[in-house]
Amino acid sequence: MTAIALRPPEVVMRLQRLGAAHPTRLSFLRQLIRRATREKWRVRKHLFDLDDKGFGRAVYAVETPARTYSLVAFSTPLDDEKRSDRVIAQAWDTSYVLYDGLPDAAEIARLEANAPLQEAGRYTNRELVLARANKSVRLFEDVVSALARGRQPDEEQLLGVGYLLRTTAVYGNGKFGIADRDEIAGRPELAGSFQAEMLTVWLIRSFTLDLVDHIACRRNPAGAARLASDLRRALGVGNATGLGMAPFLVRHPLLTHSWFLARETALARVRAEPHAGAAERRIFAQALADLSRRVARWHSDDDRQAAATMSLAADLDALTENLDRLLAKPQPWDAVYRFAEDNFSLEGQEACVSLILEPHGALVDELGDTMKADETPGHAIDGSVTCASLRQALLDAYSWAADVDFADPAANARFWYVSAEKLEPRLGERFEEDGAELEQPLATARDALSLAAALAQEPQSASVADFLLRRPEWRHAVRRAQIVARFPYAEIHDNLIGADLRPVDILRAKLAFFGARSFDPRSDRWLRIALFSGEPLIEDVAAMATAGGAA
Amino acid sequence: MIELSLNEVETLSAKAARGAGFSWGLAEDIGRAARRIAVEDDNWGVAMLSLAENAQSLDLPDPVRAARWRKGEPDRLAERPLCPIRTAALLLDDPLPASALPLTIINVGLPMWLDAMLRRSAMRVARPVGSAAHADVVVEHRADIDQSATGRRGAIDERTLAALNSFAARTYVPESERSRVRGAGGGRVDDE
Repeated sequence: MTAIALRPPEVVMRLQRLGAAHPTRLSFLRQLIRRATREKWRVRKHLFDLDDKGFGRAVYAVETPARTYSLVAFSTPLDDEKRSDRVIAQAWDTSYVLYDGLPDAAEIARLEANAPLQEAGRYTNRELVLARANKSVRLFEDVVSALARGRQPDEEQLLGVGYLLRTTAVYGNGKFGIADRDEIAGRPELAGSFQAEMLTVWLIRSFTLDLVDHIACRRNPAGAARLASDLRRALGVGNATGLGMAPFLVRHPLLTHSWFLARETALARVRAEPHAGAAERRIFAQALADLSRRVARWHSDDDRQAAATMSLAADLDALTENLDRLLAKPQPWDAVYRFAEDNFSLEGQEACVSLILEPHGALVDELGDTMKADETPGHAIDGSVTCASLRQALLDAYSWAADVDFADPAANARFWYVSAEKLEPRLGERFEEDGAELEQPLATARDALSLAAALAQEPQSASVADFLLRRPEWRHAVRRAQIVARFPYAEIHDNLIGADLRPVDILRAKLAFFGARSFDPRSDRWLRIALFSGEPLIEDVAAMATAGGAA
Repeated sequence: MIELSLNEVETLSAKAARGAGFSWGLAEDIGRAARRIAVEDDNWGVAMLSLAENAQSLDLPDPVRAARWRKGEPDRLAERPLCPIRTAALLLDDPLPASALPLTIINVGLPMWLDAMLRRSAMRVARPVGSAAHADVVVEHRADIDQSATGRRGAIDERTLAALNSFAARTYVPESERSRVRGAGGGRVDDE
């Protein structure tokens, strides 16, 4: 077998390519589905106490081999004018916690007094995740009405949106007093990245489907239909994600490196395969057809995304036409990838990465276990190195930034800050708004080049420890420089404060690792997506395992 | 008392440290050290507030003094207590040779912080230093590095929490009408 080199960070970590990322079989929700199927997780409705309008409380208990977790859901009336995707909202249609164990009545009452308040409530380490979701109002009512009349909803309308409820925040890791990630990191079922959050969303999906059935049944007990099983499986959970998530990849460099390294390693392994077996060809063709169907329904009012989606559709057609020819070549998957690289849009190239991985679970799935990282090893600074060697390492690692002139206002146009009002990350205009002196340390390229310039003023044999003793303001940049030198996929290779920055590119990359689809930018700073659409329902996985299915 | 998660302890402490004037990089160190204190000590909030309030009055380890430590020469008394964070950062960044340990450092301010900062290294403070405002400390070698504890929470009283939040708030930018609309992406809001 001829080895294939990993795609280098200077190709992979560009914002434009991050903004074209697609979910793969290594994405976190796929990892969760595989484990749940393998371990035959069982779900039961422990409590479903909703009134005729669907308001009340419900508990879904999930039994994993070692532990039970519960989704505790609250559905409450909400005036239409208060319904907002923005993090500044103060009330929601539904609110949730993922509870560690099975809550008793007193615990449910405690949660009911807090969860609907979200950030304004207070939580304990029995709560692993806190979330909320709003109805996709028009579609939700249309679906309930159709079911109440004994009919199925319009499939095209339903799948065009893709979900009945949309989460607007899914909080983990100690936020507002919930359990720290450290508390669950040692549990195999939740050890991987964002597994508790994905489990929460997977359960919310089942709740939303049961919710429309319930309301329809209460409206017409004798004649209501249940949502058809194929539609249940096709629907996911929506999500609106904004700027608050954007700094995550910058602030978790080792974790970011681990995610990208795993995906790129998987791609290189598959490209190095000498043959394409019949089973792999069949699965690839299915995945290609499935993606083509999804792309046909992928709607966005965002001009750039709409154009990218059109290009993707054309790319997939070209792939279909050329597939047999490409797969007849030696190292056929490499031939497919190189064809994409030579002929496709970035959207098409990254979709191709996802498709190529799809038939190769046996070859790549174990890489999912490597997609996690404690940031601690990156925290230590090696102060024994000389200023000259650190400077050279910086110039090497940030050579991609050498052409950025930060004296040019366009290159230095933005600043990241934390809003006093919502305590959330925001992006300001440096030369038009106040507050730049309170800039967050997210200007990675500018700080790296400025540090290199500062080091050039030092005696070249001086140690970095001595430098930092005198110049502590560079400590964060020195730390980052040493991380990036050791973990090459840790850094986004683009200017994060330039006038042309589109933060949605960063958001999309992260969301693709979650397993998101149907990316729909609503501005350059927030977007909507769908999770779990087309994936198995959590209540079905135990039976799937028996039937030999796998995600 | 309010129970914070350790992540909240770390995040709040890092912001408060930055608000008190520490650099971003040192604020990260302080956040992690605060987490370690909170695991073992119910008074982490008071310790953090002391650090924030005294940040500007603590002395820096000067290079001449640091060179004496490295050579194993006796420390010299300085006028003001040493900053435990800056001192620990220096020791962590370029650990002393074994021949220089144990090292007695004279007049370290808030020595609990020096202890906490060194926890994940091959050095430690020899004797418990409690919540002393300043003390002479002995830094010695240690073979086993502490692992992070889990299942702990950071209790804090409301007054101390409010004071720390005030320091943290110095890092926040007040919203203007313009930023309220632009900052988070505004433009299109919910319409479905």
